[in-house]
Amino acid sequence: MIRNLQRSLPGVPWVAPAVLLLLTLTIYPLIYSVKVSLTGPAGFSLAHYARLVQDRFFLQALTQTLLYTAVALSIEFVLGFALALLIDSLAHGRGFFRAGLLAPMLLPPVVVAVIWRLIYNPQFGVLNGMLRGFGVNTSALTWTSGEGSALASVILVDVWEWTPFLFLLLSAGLQALPQEPLEAARLDGASAWQMFRDIVLPMLKPVIVLAILLRAMDLLRIFDQIFILTQGGPGFATETVSLYIYRTAFRFFNFGYAAAMSFLGLALTVAFARSLMKVMRVAR
Amino acid sequence: MRACWCVVAMMVLAGCGNEPPALTIAINAGVEGDALKAAAAEWGARNRTRVDIVELPYANLFEKELLDLTSRTGAYDIIMMDDPWFPRMAENGQLAPLEKQPDADFLTSCLDVCREPYSTGAFYALPYVGNSQLFFYRKDLFDKHGMAAPATWSEVLAAGKKIGAAEKMFGYVMRAAPGNAVITDFMPLFWAFGAEMFDSSGRASVASPEAIECVRFMLELGKYSPPGYTGFNADEVSGHLLQSTAVMSINWPAWIAAMDDPARSKVVGKIAFTQVPSAGRKGVAELGAWLLAIPAGSKNKARAADFLFWATTPEQMKEAALRGNPPTRRSVFLDPELRARFRAFPAQLASLETARPRPRTPLWNEIENAFGIRISQANAGSISPQEALQRANQEIEAIVQRAK
Repeated sequence: MIRNLQRSLPGVPWVAPAVLLLLTLTIYPLIYSVKVSLTGPAGFSLAHYARLVQDRFFLQALTQTLLYTAVALSIEFVLGFALALLIDSLAHGRGFFRAGLLAPMLLPPVVVAVIWRLIYNPQFGVLNGMLRGFGVNTSALTWTSGEGSALASVILVDVWEWTPFLFLLLSAGLQALPQEPLEAARLDGASAWQMFRDIVLPMLKPVIVLAILLRAMDLLRIFDQIFILTQGGPGFATETVSLYIYRTAFRFFNFGYAAAMSFLGLALTVAFARSLMKVMRVAR
Repeated sequence: MRACWCVVAMMVLAGCGNEPPALTIAINAGVEGDALKAAAAEWGARNRTRVDIVELPYANLFEKELLDLTSRTGAYDIIMMDDPWFPRMAENGQLAPLEKQPDADFLTSCLDVCREPYSTGAFYALPYVGNSQLFFYRKDLFDKHGMAAPATWSEVLAAGKKIGAAEKMFGYVMRAAPGNAVITDFMPLFWAFGAEMFDSSGRASVASPEAIECVRFMLELGKYSPPGYTGFNADEVSGHLLQSTAVMSINWPAWIAAMDDPARSKVVGKIAFTQVPSAGRKGVAELGAWLLAIPAGSKNKARAADFLFWATTPEQMKEAALRGNPPTRRSVFLDPELRARFRAFPAQLASLETARPRPRTPLWNEIENAFGIRISQANAGSISPQEALQRANQEIEAIVQRAK
């Protein structure tokens, strides 16, 4: 062991800056935020965590975040997969369509939100303007301002921007599939549906899980689009956990409670990721 | 070796030119900050010293400044703050008290919010921008329909119905996005109906019969507002006035210039400005003054105080007014040159003299958020006025109790 230590000593100065940076910028703030979340006015306390289960605003924000994630992820996955299969089946023009489809994802989310805020404006927006052009009565179409339509409207923006991300991953997965099993199945007379169900889908499962995992983690901490489009409103209809954490930390300056919410959010994300990996292992 | 020495010498010389600034000022990115930025440049040139400006958008200004105050880093020597932030920023000795008393030319409503405790304590800031709400209305249409400027909220509703229907416009446009936006427009109505946020013992009292009547009235007014007003902020409200699609609204002086700008407005010269209407009680506007203060952690307090008093002299405030800032001094409001140039000045002065600040509590941001959510929900029709106010009352009381 001493010999091993002696052998690795010359490398220490090279690794030390990176380790130091990691300790300073990641490990220390993490430990500090755990401490802050466990500190009340009179020292150590679980009060912030106890408040989480009684806070109606937090519970509603959590429910809405989960709903937002589930709906947006389902739509984006189905659309992304369908587009990937469609483009993959094309004989010509794959590169052109692929580049075109990726465009929304390349825009900064803040810019996307500002553009959609203008599009959704009930009076002066392009969307209602177009609908009026087709003779539709738009007086009730308030999009992000309507209690019933606000969440769906912000989900639509997310779907528009991030479906290309799932398309990109799944498309890359499809291209990397070995062609031999598909050729063999074709020679054996398998239908397109049978080939998709029994060959493509099982072979693509690791990519699917990875795509869902990456997108779900992003969706669970959605902030920028909603902040610009609705600021969590009308009322509390589109408030998400990240938005509520931001408000608690930087508007109310209650860092302890904000840290407690963040750790609960982290725990939920980790639990989701682990269960998804487990599902994948079982399916394998 | 010689090359190395050259590099070292160049670095030393470069360092000499990069002396620390005499002052660092945190300002709001917007018209209020622009005037201060110009004043800082002039003060720097006059004193042959460097003044650094840290310009931050409204949404980030509060958090940056409060982080600096609580950690006492001394990053800023002067901070520009919206007046509702003052109680939070002045607590725990985070601001340096002013050594000189401000003179009597400043308007009392603006000076009161610079004191801790409110209106009676020591001065910790000076008022720089005298913002208070005004009632904007289409004078040409009121004249056309033989109506006088609305003095009460019932007159507003009646005029909104009549003119709106006749002119195919929205009778009224309300700012009702959740949080700060909805509460900003709601408070003048709330006060006019005789409602109060807290009773004499300091307990939340937003579910009073007066408050319920007020929310019901607001919903009635909302029927004559554009669809989607529950998501409106100041830009959408002003957009409707500028595009001549709405007849009236409460608005801030920052939008007066836009109303008379032919490049942006279809209503040049048609909008008049008056006091916020009354109901059971006399109507008062909400104060939204911008203050200048010195953080306790500043390492240049004497120089910062020098700048603070210089920037708020009548001469400098007149310059700031010419750059678009409403003043906080009576003498500047009465200046003949400015009166000839800014037609809303008489109405602005009258509004500012009686303007009321938001409740003076360090918890205001949290209270405003909770109250704003419920008022926004009532506006959206998802809960009744009574339910909205009862829930808001419980939540505000919980916030107050938690802080004790």
